Amino acid sequence: MKGIAVECPEMIHKRNGVPVAFDAKKIRDAIRKANEAARVEAIAPYQFEKLVNAVVEAIPEGKTPNVEQVQDLVEEKLIENGFARTAKAYILYRAEHTKVRKTEADLVDIYRELTFTSAADADIKRENANIDADTSMGTMLKYGSEGANYFVDNYILPKDIAAAHINGDIHIHDKDFYMLTETCCQIDLIRLFKDGFSTGHGYIRQPRSIASYASLACIAIQANQNEMHGGQSVPNFDYAMAEGVACTFRKEYYDAVQRYFWLEYDCENVLGDEFRQALKNAMPERITMENIDDYEEHFVQWFTECKEMWLQKLPEEEDIRRCHRTSIRIAMKETDMATYQAMESLIHNLNTMNSRAGAQVPFSSINYGTCTSKEARMAVRNLLKVTDIGLGNGETAIFPVQIFKVKDGINYNPGDPNYDLFRLAIKVSAKRLFPNFSFIDAPFNLQYYKEGDYNTEISYMGCRTRVMGNHYNPKQEVTCGRGNLSFTSVNLPRLGIGAHKDIALFYKELDKRLELCCRQLLHRFEIQKKKTVKNYPFLMGQGIWMGSEELGIHDQVGEVLKNGTLSVGFIGLAETLVALTGKHHGESEESRKLGYEIISHMRDYLDRKSEETGLNFTLLATPAEGLSGRFVRMDRKRFGKIPGVTDREYYTNSFHVPVYYPINAFEKIRIEAPYHAMTNAGHISYVELDGDTAKNPEAFEAVIRCMKENGIGYGSVNHPVDRDPVCGYTGVIDEVCPRCGRKEGEAVSIERLNELRRKYPDVPVYMDANH
Amino acid sequence: MAGKVLPENGQVGENVKFDRIRRITGYLVGTTDRFNNAKRAEERERVKHSLS
Repeated sequence: MKGIAVECPEMIHKRNGVPVAFDAKKIRDAIRKANEAARVEAIAPYQFEKLVNAVVEAIPEGKTPNVEQVQDLVEEKLIENGFARTAKAYILYRAEHTKVRKTEADLVDIYRELTFTSAADADIKRENANIDADTSMGTMLKYGSEGANYFVDNYILPKDIAAAHINGDIHIHDKDFYMLTETCCQIDLIRLFKDGFSTGHGYIRQPRSIASYASLACIAIQANQNEMHGGQSVPNFDYAMAEGVACTFRKEYYDAVQRYFWLEYDCENVLGDEFRQALKNAMPERITMENIDDYEEHFVQWFTECKEMWLQKLPEEEDIRRCHRTSIRIAMKETDMATYQAMESLIHNLNTMNSRAGAQVPFSSINYGTCTSKEARMAVRNLLKVTDIGLGNGETAIFPVQIFKVKDGINYNPGDPNYDLFRLAIKVSAKRLFPNFSFIDAPFNLQYYKEGDYNTEISYMGCRTRVMGNHYNPKQEVTCGRGNLSFTSVNLPRLGIGAHKDIALFYKELDKRLELCCRQLLHRFEIQKKKTVKNYPFLMGQGIWMGSEELGIHDQVGEVLKNGTLSVGFIGLAETLVALTGKHHGESEESRKLGYEIISHMRDYLDRKSEETGLNFTLLATPAEGLSGRFVRMDRKRFGKIPGVTDREYYTNSFHVPVYYPINAFEKIRIEAPYHAMTNAGHISYVELDGDTAKNPEAFEAVIRCMKENGIGYGSVNHPVDRDPVCGYTGVIDEVCPRCGRKEGEAVSIERLNELRRKYPDVPVYMDANH
Repeated sequence: MAGKVLPENGQVGENVKFDRIRRITGYLVGTTDRFNNAKRAEERERVKHSLS
C-alpha cells in the first residue's frame, strides 16, 4: 500500500474471530477521526504515516493480530508520540463503540436468555449463588437488574467510566443499584428496640422477652435489607439478646414466686398484678442473673415485713428464702429453654424469610462473643447449640453468617470468662463452617477498642466488609449505624500484564485507575447524597444510620451518608505478581515484598484521597463472585492464555494465595496477614482443612490462634460439609455415603434406614403411602 | 407434612443427590449447582492446607 514502508500482517481477526485482510488505511482513518474530534491538536500528514507505521511495526511478526490488540497499539503510539488529546478522543471513540456493540447486543437478547434458559445452562443466572434465578421472582429481579444496568451504562455514567467498566478495567459493583441506595449497614439492635420502632407498615413496641427480641432482630434485618443492596449485620448480637434474656428471666422469676406462694399457702391473692407490682416497687433493683444473692436479702426483708398483707398462713424466713431460691432455679431453666427456642426460630427465620421480591433471604450476619453477662452467655451458648444441631432435617444453616469476636482477656485463654464459648464456637465451626472468627486484638482493630463499649469492638459484615475509622467525623470512630456506600474494583492483573514487567509503568497506570475509581465513586455519591429520608423509611426513618435521627422526612441524606465508606477493591493480586515477576506471593519472597508494596501503595492513595475530601475512602479485599470469571475471560481474549495469569477460569480472590497452590496453613496465614492491616474496608483469609483435621479441636484452634497471633482481622476455616438427605448423614462424603452406603442417585431400602435409625436418631422418617 | 413419602417399592433415594455445602465469597451455599462457572472451577481446584 502507498505510504506504508513497513511490512503489514496479511490478516486481522475481527471481533467475532473471523480473519479478514489487514488494511492499514483503517488505522489511518481512525486516527484522523480522533484527531478531528480533538480539534486543537493538528497532526501533520507525514506524522500520520509515522504513526500508522509505528502501529504496524509493533505488531509481532508473523502473528495475526485481533482488532482489540491493534486498537491498544494505536492508543499506545498516540501517547508515546505526544498526541495526548487525540489519544483521549480515540479512547472515548473506542469506548463508545464498545458500549454500543455491547448494549445493542443486548437487552433483548439478555431478556431472552433469562426467560428461555434454565439457570443450569445460563451463567448469567448464577451470578449470585444465593439467588434462585429459576423462580419467577428471581427472574423478575434479573429483568429489573439488567434493565437498570442498561440504563446506567448508557444514560448515567460518564463515557470513560462506562467504557472502563464495560471493557473490564474496573468493575462497578451493584451497578444496577447505582441510582438507588447504599451497600450495607451495621444495625444497633439495642438502640433500635429502645422505645420501639416502626417498619413503615406499623408500630412495634419495645420487645419484652427473648422470643420477641429474636424475632424482631429478624424483622429489622429484613426491613433494612429491602432498602439496601448489600448485606445486613448486627454488631452486638450478644449484648442485644442479653436484654431479651433478662426480660424473660425477670418474668419467669416473678411468675415462679407468685406460684410458689399460691401453691404452698393456698392463697390466690398473690397471683394478681397487685402483688407483682408491690414486689417490683419494693426492691431497690430489678432481679437479674447477676444480683440473685443481694436480691434474696431484700426480698426476705421486704416480705417478712409485709407478708400479713398477702397471706393468711405466714411463712418463716427459711421458707421465704426457699421461695426465692426455687423461683431462681425455675426461672433459669425456663429462660434457658425459651432462649433455645428463640435462637432456633431466629436461625429458621433467617433461612426462610424472603426479601427482594421473594428471590432470596436477607444476607444477614451476626457478631458476638465478647459480652460476659450471664444473660449474653446463655444466648450465645444456645445459638451455638442450635447451629450445631442444624435446621429441621439437620441441614447446615446458610444464614446468618456468624462471627465470633475473639479478644484477649475475654474469651481467648483458659480462665477468660468466655473461653468456654470460644471452645464451643470452634467445635461448631468444625462441623458447620460457622462461626467465622474476627480478631479485636489485631492492631488496626485494637486501636479503636474501648473496654465494655460494643460500639468500639470491630464487627464484620459476613462477606468481609468493616467500618471503623472516620475521616469525616473522627469523634465517631465506631461501628454501629455505619456501612459501605458503594465499592468498585480494579482489574489488577490487567495492569500487571500491560506493564510488561516495568514496575514503574505499573504504578503509573495503577494511579490512573485509582483516580478513575475515586472519580466514579464520587459520581455515584453525588446521586446517593440527593436521596431523602423518605427513600429509606426504615434505615433513615428509624434512625438506624448514624445521624439520621436528626433528619426530617424530606431532608437529604448526603451529610449523614458521609459517615459511610467509599471503597476501592481489587482482585487477582496473585496473577498480577505472576505477570510482573513470574511468581506469585506464595512462591517467592521477592513477589511477597512487591505484593505488600502494591497494596500499601493503593491504601496510601486512598488515605490521601480521604484527607483531600474529608470522606472515607477505604481499600477493600474484594469478595469477587461474578467478577472472578468476568475479568479473566476478557483478559484472556485480549492477551491470550498466559500461564499462571489468564490460564484459569477465575482470578484469585483479593490478596489470597491461589487456592490451587499447595502451602502449609500457617505459612498461608503469615503471608496474608499483613494485607489485613492494609485493607481497611474489609478482608478475610481462609484455610482449607480436610474433614478429619477439622474435626480435631486442637488442630482447629491452632489455626485460629495462628490467625490471631499474626494480626489477621477476620478469618475462617473451610472444610467439606456434605450431607446425604436420604439417611441424614452430615460429614464428608466422597463417592459413597459412609452411613447408608449409597452412591449419589442410588436408592437404599427402607429396612436398611429403619435399622440405621436405631443407631442414629436423625435418620429421616418416611411415611408409607400404602398404609 | 412431616416425613417423606415412601415409594411403593420400599426403596428410598433414587436420583437424590448429596448436598455439598461450600463457602464462596464469605457466604455458604447449599448446593454447588448455583455456583457460576468461574466459582465452580475455583472450588474444584482448591487444595487442602497441611498443618505440619
